[in-house]
Amino acid sequence: MRRLAIILLTPLLFMGCSMIEEVKPWEKETLAEEIMQYEGLHPEVKKFEAHVYFSKEASRGGNGVAGGGCGCN
Amino acid sequence: MLKKTIYALCFSTISLMALDKGDAVPQNIQDQLNLDSNKTYVIDFFASWCKSCKKELPLISKVYNDKLVEVVGVNVDKKKKDGEEFVKKFELPFRVIYDSDKTFIKAFDPVGFPALYYVRDGKIVNAIFGAVDNIDEQIAKDLKDLK
Repeated sequence: MRRLAIILLTPLLFMGCSMIEEVKPWEKETLAEEIMQYEGLHPEVKKFEAHVYFSKEASRGGNGVAGGGCGCN
Repeated sequence: MLKKTIYALCFSTISLMALDKGDAVPQNIQDQLNLDSNKTYVIDFFASWCKSCKKELPLISKVYNDKLVEVVGVNVDKKKKDGEEFVKKFELPFRVIYDSDKTFIKAFDPVGFPALYYVRDGKIVNAIFGAVDNIDEQIAKDLKDLK
């Protein structure tokens, strides 16, 4: 009986790990706020910072996805 | 005692199932949404914070309401006031229900947002999740297919 209880309860114990409640699509109100953007409230500030960074370091790239194609930059 | 514990644990892990195409809308939800069995309803779940909704709602507003088809908006903003301001701003011409306590959205449990359901005779006959370009044309096409 004890063995059976252990066999039955062990999977249930591990199922507890999967019970973290997911954020539903309609609950993303806070995530949709402007302040939650990766660039912050003012994306242009981030762009300016990036410009200063690559001017000072004499390097660019490695901080996003590059545009594709012509190789003109 | 052991049996009771096992049953309790099993049932506590079963979550409510989302409504999908072919499923019947629970009668209490139908009653609260005031759905008539003779009509086809386009039920659109939206919120003021949803950017795709802002794009779609003016187009959904164009959908023709008649004796057989009715558009019903369900606003899921936490604060009803936000929803009311949003509806006022967009001058939505259809009936809007405020679902601040999430009764309706939890019952439908859509996998994406915005969510649009076609309900006929108390059953979900089709559903669209997420943003769709030219949603008005899509709705017109879907309604035509449903006839």
